[in-house]
Amino acid sequence: MADVSKILKGINKLPALPASAGRIITMMSDKHVDLGEIADIVRLDEALSIAVLHYGNSVHYGRPGREFDLRECLVRLGGDMMMKIVLQQQVGTLMERGGEAFGLRRGALWRGALGGAFAADHLGKRHSGSDSELCFLCGMLRDIGKLALDMHYGAEYVDRVAKHLEPSMTFTEAERSAFGTDHAEVGAELALRWQLPSRIADAIRFHHDPPAHEPEHDALFDIVHAADILCLWAGLAIGQDGLQYKLVPHVRKSLGLSRRDAEVEIAMLWSKVQEVEESMDMTTNERAA
Amino acid sequence: MPATPARTIKTATDGKIVIGVGDLAVSNEPSTHLITYALGSCIGVTIYDPVAKVGGMLHFMLPSSKTNEEKAKNQPAMFANTGVPLLFKGTYDLGAKKERLVVCAAGGAEVLADDGHFKVGSRNRTILRKLFWKNDILVIGEDTGGSISRTLKLCMADGTVSVSTKGKEQVLWPT
Repeated sequence: MADVSKILKGINKLPALPASAGRIITMMSDKHVDLGEIADIVRLDEALSIAVLHYGNSVHYGRPGREFDLRECLVRLGGDMMMKIVLQQQVGTLMERGGEAFGLRRGALWRGALGGAFAADHLGKRHSGSDSELCFLCGMLRDIGKLALDMHYGAEYVDRVAKHLEPSMTFTEAERSAFGTDHAEVGAELALRWQLPSRIADAIRFHHDPPAHEPEHDALFDIVHAADILCLWAGLAIGQDGLQYKLVPHVRKSLGLSRRDAEVEIAMLWSKVQEVEESMDMTTNERAA
Repeated sequence: MPATPARTIKTATDGKIVIGVGDLAVSNEPSTHLITYALGSCIGVTIYDPVAKVGGMLHFMLPSSKTNEEKAKNQPAMFANTGVPLLFKGTYDLGAKKERLVVCAAGGAEVLADDGHFKVGSRNRTILRKLFWKNDILVIGEDTGGSISRTLKLCMADGTVSVSTKGKEQVLWPT
């Protein structure tokens, strides 16, 4: 019980957030895109360059019949898209092997991060006044707490939580019952240690339980929560925790989310995830859900 | 009904064929088993003809292709109404007979505290029942609902269908 300090101490053993990802996150938070700096990050990284070439020459961005080089791809894709590609690759490196503490198959934590990023991005674009880039970022990072729990407990974590889990209980409630904290809180603490802005840390903290009322209410938290639920429905990143999470009642109304909207999003998510995995030379079906 | 895509017959790796989300496969290779992991609100369907020793598995995500007609053309196994007919046709092409088929299903879980508006898992279960009822097909073994994650496996040697949840396995068929 109340093992929080031990868990947080274990966080120090985590690999650091890659410096280039930290720089991109700062650009996103400050709304200041430096395409020259992004280009420098890409040129120094072979895997990133390959991903940029893939996107720049995909049918979505390029004209058929002509192949664009790296410089042309950087210009064609633009700053916002480039930031997303760098994040996908850098955060992917961090999360690709994660998820053991929740009984996830290899690659599933990363796939869930990507799905959350795309779902939050779409929801952010639909919701007036929301910053879709920030939504993308928070959707991607929402489960970083699971990385810390991997390093501290490994597969033992889910087994210990399972002993406290009742059918009507959410998995986060069972985590708190077993350990005095949960993966959302641990993730928020990790984000603060990575010196990410406090609003991002709070989006991670509240991704299973966004506050309904002012002054704590924030549409960003609602969006990240809805993105997380959409990923569960899409079968992305389902571990031994299953679907034992609640859909917070105020979120559907605050986002104006209909059943049809949700199903369209679910159908879209796998396509987007597969596209990224192909660009990063990861095979989806080999490690399928 | 769309034509059966060639990709429904797949090659096994290490004796197993992994069915991804929105995917299906059929087989007549007795040394193989078909498996799909982490079924949440999605549903896994297995069919098996014990005489022809032909079977198949579908992992569909959503009830109806009306959600995205374009997507359904490229990936029909994503939806129940387009995936289920393909699964059956795929096994018929390998010699299975409808009257001998053993049909099982697993998945269709729900998140907690859905206020009844979305009910993705429940809608998946409902359309599957309707499809089978319309086509006079009986589901022999079923493990659906709740909020748990499931792994579904079909052994092609004898048609044994099993579901694993949190490390515990139960056999759906033979009963």
